[in-house]
Amino acid sequence: MAIPAIGSNSALSGAGVSAPSTSVRVRFLRTLFSSKKATAGLVILLVISFVAAFPGLLTHDDPNAAIYGIEQGPSLQHLLGTTLVGQDVFSQLVYGTRLTLVIVVVVSVIATVLSMIIGITAAYLGGLADRSLSLLTDIFLIIPTLPLLIVLAFYLPSGVSTMILVLCLTSWAFQARQLRSQGLSLRSRDFLASARVRGERPLYIILVEIVPTMTSLLAASFLGVAVYVVGFAAGLQFLGLGNSSELTWGTLLYQAQANDALISGNVWWELSPGLAVALLGAGFALLNYAFDEIGNPALRPARRRRDRSAS
Amino acid sequence: MRKPTWGRAPTHLAAALPRSHRKLVTLLAGTATLLAAACGGTTSAGSSTASSSSVGGKLVIDSYMGTTWPCTFNPFNPALNFLTVGFTYETLEYINDLKASSSGSSLAQPWLATGSAWSNNYETLTFTIRSGVKWNDGQPFSAADVAYTFNAMTTSAALDLNALWKADGGPLTAVTAQGSNQVAFTFDTPAQTYFYYVADQIPIVPEHIWSTLDQTKLASYTDSHPIGTGPYKVGSCTQANVKYVPNTDYWQSTPGHPVPRIAEVDYPSFLGNDQANLYLTEGQAQWGAQPVPNIKTAYLNKGPDRYMWFPPVLNVGIFPNLDNPLLSNVAVRQAISLALDRSNVATRGESGYEPAASQTGIITPTYQSWYDKSIDNTAYDPTKAEQVLEAAGFTKGSDGIYQNAQGQQLSFTLQTVSGFGDWDASLVVITQELKAVGIQITVEDENSGPYTTNLESGNFQLAYAGSGGPYTAGGPTPYYELRGDLYSSNIGGTNYSHYNSPSTDALFNAYAATTNVSQQKQIIDQIEQVMVSDYPFIPVTQGVDWYTYDASHIGGWPTASDPYAQPAIYAPLEDAGVILDHLYPTN
Amino acid sequence: MTYLRRRLGLFLLTLWAALTVNFALPRLMPGNEAQAVLATLHGVNPAALHALEIEFGVNVHQNIVLTYLQYLGNCFTGQLGVDHYGIPVVTGIVQALPWTLGLVGIATVLAFLIGTLVGILTAWRRGGRMDAFLPPLLFIVSSFPIFFMGLVLILIFGVVLNWLPIGGNYNIDATPSLSLPFIGDVITHAILPGATLVVVTAGLWIFTMRNNMITTLAEDYVKMGRAKGLAPWRIMLDYAARNAILPNLTGFAMQLGFVLGGAILVEYTFSYPGLGYLFYTSTTLHDLPMMQGLFLFYTMAVLVCVLGADLVTALVDPRTRDA
Repeated sequence: MAIPAIGSNSALSGAGVSAPSTSVRVRFLRTLFSSKKATAGLVILLVISFVAAFPGLLTHDDPNAAIYGIEQGPSLQHLLGTTLVGQDVFSQLVYGTRLTLVIVVVVSVIATVLSMIIGITAAYLGGLADRSLSLLTDIFLIIPTLPLLIVLAFYLPSGVSTMILVLCLTSWAFQARQLRSQGLSLRSRDFLASARVRGERPLYIILVEIVPTMTSLLAASFLGVAVYVVGFAAGLQFLGLGNSSELTWGTLLYQAQANDALISGNVWWELSPGLAVALLGAGFALLNYAFDEIGNPALRPARRRRDRSAS
Repeated sequence: MRKPTWGRAPTHLAAALPRSHRKLVTLLAGTATLLAAACGGTTSAGSSTASSSSVGGKLVIDSYMGTTWPCTFNPFNPALNFLTVGFTYETLEYINDLKASSSGSSLAQPWLATGSAWSNNYETLTFTIRSGVKWNDGQPFSAADVAYTFNAMTTSAALDLNALWKADGGPLTAVTAQGSNQVAFTFDTPAQTYFYYVADQIPIVPEHIWSTLDQTKLASYTDSHPIGTGPYKVGSCTQANVKYVPNTDYWQSTPGHPVPRIAEVDYPSFLGNDQANLYLTEGQAQWGAQPVPNIKTAYLNKGPDRYMWFPPVLNVGIFPNLDNPLLSNVAVRQAISLALDRSNVATRGESGYEPAASQTGIITPTYQSWYDKSIDNTAYDPTKAEQVLEAAGFTKGSDGIYQNAQGQQLSFTLQTVSGFGDWDASLVVITQELKAVGIQITVEDENSGPYTTNLESGNFQLAYAGSGGPYTAGGPTPYYELRGDLYSSNIGGTNYSHYNSPSTDALFNAYAATTNVSQQKQIIDQIEQVMVSDYPFIPVTQGVDWYTYDASHIGGWPTASDPYAQPAIYAPLEDAGVILDHLYPTN
Repeated sequence: MTYLRRRLGLFLLTLWAALTVNFALPRLMPGNEAQAVLATLHGVNPAALHALEIEFGVNVHQNIVLTYLQYLGNCFTGQLGVDHYGIPVVTGIVQALPWTLGLVGIATVLAFLIGTLVGILTAWRRGGRMDAFLPPLLFIVSSFPIFFMGLVLILIFGVVLNWLPIGGNYNIDATPSLSLPFIGDVITHAILPGATLVVVTAGLWIFTMRNNMITTLAEDYVKMGRAKGLAPWRIMLDYAARNAILPNLTGFAMQLGFVLGGAILVEYTFSYPGLGYLFYTSTTLHDLPMMQGLFLFYTMAVLVCVLGADLVTALVDPRTRDA
C-alpha cells in the first residue's frame, strides 16, 4: 500500500496559494496538462471511471453466475479464467470496479472535507479552538492506523458502509495538519482583514473567502488521501474484513487468496485484482506527483541550465 | 493467517447404549479381552495387524489450526485439547461414531473402564475400572482418579465442557469411587443419552498431580508436561511443533507386542493454510486434515500410496427463521428446498468434497441404517417449486420475484460466517438457483461473534449454518444432531429456526426413554417425516471430516471400508488415540 | 521545556484514547466473548458455552465504570491478562516481538538508508538519467498495495522458481538454536517478507528525501556555499542533507504506525509469526485479551518513537525548542 510521504504535499507549502486570479488558475491547468505524469494519471483514472460506469460494455457475463467450468485458465471465452465456483474472473473484475471506485472517492471526498473544516477552522480561529483541534488531529495521527482499522472493521458489521466509516475516521488527520499550516499563513492577509472589518461571521469567511483560494490545495489533498485509501481499503478487504458477498477488487483478492489461487495455478484470479488496485493507486499517485511539481516549482522537471525562463 | 476456509464440521457421535445390549456388550468386551490376551495382542475391534512388533517410523500430522502452539496441554482447554485428548489423555470407553449405528446399536469399547452397567432405571451408572494401568510418570491409575476428574468439575465449573453436572444444567448429581475399581455416577433423571458424554468425552486426569493445584482454577492450569494414561507422551514442544514419544508403560502394550508402534509423532503448527497444503502435497506429512484444492492433481496423484476419505458427519444448510411471517409459510420453505440442486452446490461450492444432503436430515452413509429412503422427498424440481408457491397464493412480480397478496416480496437476507470460503462459494450457487425460481437472497457475511449471537437470538431471516455450529459435535445416532436442531428447549441455543412443536418434542422424549433400537428407529423415522413435511430447516450439504493419508511407510489407517475410528485429528477425540494405537511402520 | 511537556501531555491523551477504544468496542458488539469463541472451536459440544462463560467471566456483573477503571489500572501496571490458552498476553507478545523487530526493524532501516541515499543523489543530480526515471518508478512501486508486492514475490520466487519458502519463519522440523544452519534457515525465510517491506518503503524515503533535498538546494545558504567554492560533496552533506533530513526524522517516527500496519499485512501474507500475525489471529479467534494487549502495545510503540524523535529534533534543531 502506498505510504503517504511527509512533505509530498509540498504543493501546500506556500507556493500554490495566491489571491483569486483567473490567469493563475488557467496557467496552472495548462501546466498540469502539459505534464506527462499528470496526463498518465488522468488517463488511468478516466479509463477506470469508464469501466466503473459502463461495465456492461466490456463484458456480457454476469459476474455472479456460477455456471462456467471450474478454475479454468485464461481462454477466449474467459479472458482471465474462472474462479473455484465457476464464475468468470474478467467480468468480476470489471463489475467490481464500480464499488471499489465509489469507496475510494466517497472516503477521499469526506476525508478532505473533514480535514479542510478542521484544519482551516483551527488555523483561522486560533487560541483554544486551535489547540484543541490540533490535539484531536495529533491523536488521530499518532494512533497506528491499520491496527485501529482492523479493530474497528472487525467489530462493526461488515460491509461497504463500515468500510467507508472506518476509513474516513482514519484518513482525515494527515491532511488536516497540512491544511492548518496553510491556513495559518493566510490569517493576516488583506482580503481577510477586509472581510472581518465588514463584519462577516467566521464561518462565512472560512467557507466563502478562504476555501476558494485553496482549491488546488484541496485537490492535492484529495489525491493524496485517495492514494492512501486505495491501499487501505484493499488491505482491509484482503484480510477478510470486508463483506465477501459484495464485489470489489479487494474481496476478489480475498477469495482468490483464500482458495490458494497462486499455489493451485489459477494465477490470474489473484493477480488481476491486485494489478487493478495497483493501477488505481498509481493513477492517483501520478496525479498527486504532478500537482506537487506544479505547486513547488523547484520540483518541476529540470530544464537545461541555460534556460532561464523557468519560473 | 487465514481462518480455515472450509466449513469443517467434525463430530463425535454419542451413543446411548441400549439396555438390552448392555449385558451383551459387557460379555463381548470381556470375551474380547480374554481372546486378545490369549492371542497376545490387545488391539481393539477393527483392523489389527500386530503380527510384527517393530517400533519405528515417524508420523507427521498436517492440520492447519491457524495458531502457533503455546505448549499448554490442559485437556479441558477447548481451544487446544485436540493436542492431548487421545494422545496423552484417555477416556473411560471408546465409542466409534462412524460405526456406532451400523448395526443399529452402538458398541462401546472398553478402554480405561472394562465395562459399565446401568441400574436404578438409568439413574445410576457404574463403571468397572481397568486394573494394571499406569500414568506415564509410573504412578498407578485407579478409580480414585476417575472420581477425582469428575468431581473437579464441581470446584472448577469451567471444566464441565459437556454441562454434565446439575449446577451446570445437566443431570449428574454425584460421582463416587466404590472400592478399588468401581465408580458410580448418580443422575437425578434417567440419563442414558448421557452415557456418551460420560464414557467417551471426558479425559481422565491424575489426582496425584491435579489435586495439588488451585482447585478453583483448574481450567487455566498450563499442564506443560501432561501426565496421562495414553499411548504417547509429549517429548518436546516448540511454537512450531509438538513431538510425541511413545509411552513405554502404555496399558495396551504386552511383552513382545508394543503399542504404539510409531516411534515419533510430530504435530506441527501451520501459520497459513497454503503452507499446510504445500507440506502435505510435498509428502512431508502423512496424516492430513486439509481439503487440498484440486486434491486429485495436487495431492493424490503426486504419490504412490495416497488416499482421501471424507466421511460425512453433520448437516450444513439453510435455517429459516420461523418467526418471520413469510418463512413461517411452509410453502416457501418447501419451494426453497425444491429449488436447490444440492449436488450442483456440492460440486461447485464444496469442490465435490461434501456430498449433497437429504431433506430427511439423516447423514449417509454414516447413519445408513436409520435412513428411510421411502420418505425422502429431496429433489431438484424448480418447476414444482414455482407451482408450490403459486398454489400458496404467491404471484410473480415484474422483477421476477414472487410476492404475496399484500405485496411482500420473497426477498431475504441470508447470514453466513466470514472466513468460510466454501460456504461463500456454495451460497453463490444457492443464490443463483433460488433466483431462478423467483426468490431473492442477499448474502451477509458476519464475523463469528455477531453471527453466533444472531443465530441464537433469532436475529436473522435466513442463515447458513452447520447443525450446532460451524465445527461442532453431533452424536453417534441422528438423535443428537436433530434434537439440537429441533427440540424446543434449544431455542436460544442450537435450535436456530426457533422450531417449536410439542409433538416433535414428544418424539425426542420418547427416544430418550427407550433403549429398544427398533423403537428408536421408528421414532427417528417419524422425525424424518417431520423434516420432509415441515421443513424446519433445509440441509444442503453434509459436513465432513477432512482426512487424507499416505500409506507408503505407515499402515493401519482407518478407511471407508474399515471405519474403525473417526479420523478428525483436529477434534479432541479419543478416536485419535485409537488410530495411533493401530498405526504401524511398514518396510 | 514547555514543548516537551506539551508533547508528553499529547501522548498521555492519545494513550488514554486508544485504551478507551480498546475497552469500549468489544462491549458495544452484540453477544459475549464466550459465544464468539465457541464458534471457532473444533469438535466441541455446544453445551460448552456454559463452561466458556464461566472461564471468561461473562456473567460476572460488575459496575462498568469500576471495570473500566480496573482495566486502565491494569494496563498501566502491565497486567494485560491471559489469552485463550491461559498464557499471559505479555508472554505471547514477548515471544512474537523479536520476529517483528527483526523483520521490520532491519527492513525499515535498510529502506531508510537506501531511500535517503538515493534521494540525496538523485536530487543532487537533477536532470540526470537517474532522476528521470527512478523517482517516478519508485513512487509508482510504492503505491502498490504492500501485500500485493508480497504476493508477486511469492509467486515468482516461491511458486514458479521455488527458490525460497513461501511462508513461516523457520522450518517446521528445525529446533531453534543459535547454530549457523538455523540462522541460515531464519534468514532464508525472512528474505521475501523483508524484500517486500524494503521495496515498498524505500520508494517512500527516496521520494521524500529527494523532494526535501531539492527544496533545500534552492535555499540561499546552499547558493552561498557554492559561491564560497566549497567542495560539492561537502555542500551536499553538510549543508543540504543535514537540513533536509530533519523533517524526515519526525516524519519517520510518525510513519512508524504506518510501517507497523504494513508489517501486519506482510506478516499475514507470509504467515510470519510476528506481532502483526498475532494481532490478526487474535481478531479471528476472538482472543480479546491478546487483541487489546497488542493494540496497546502498538500505540505505545508509536508514542515512544514519536517522543524520541521529538527529543532528538529538539536537541538538534534549536528552532523547535522555542516553539
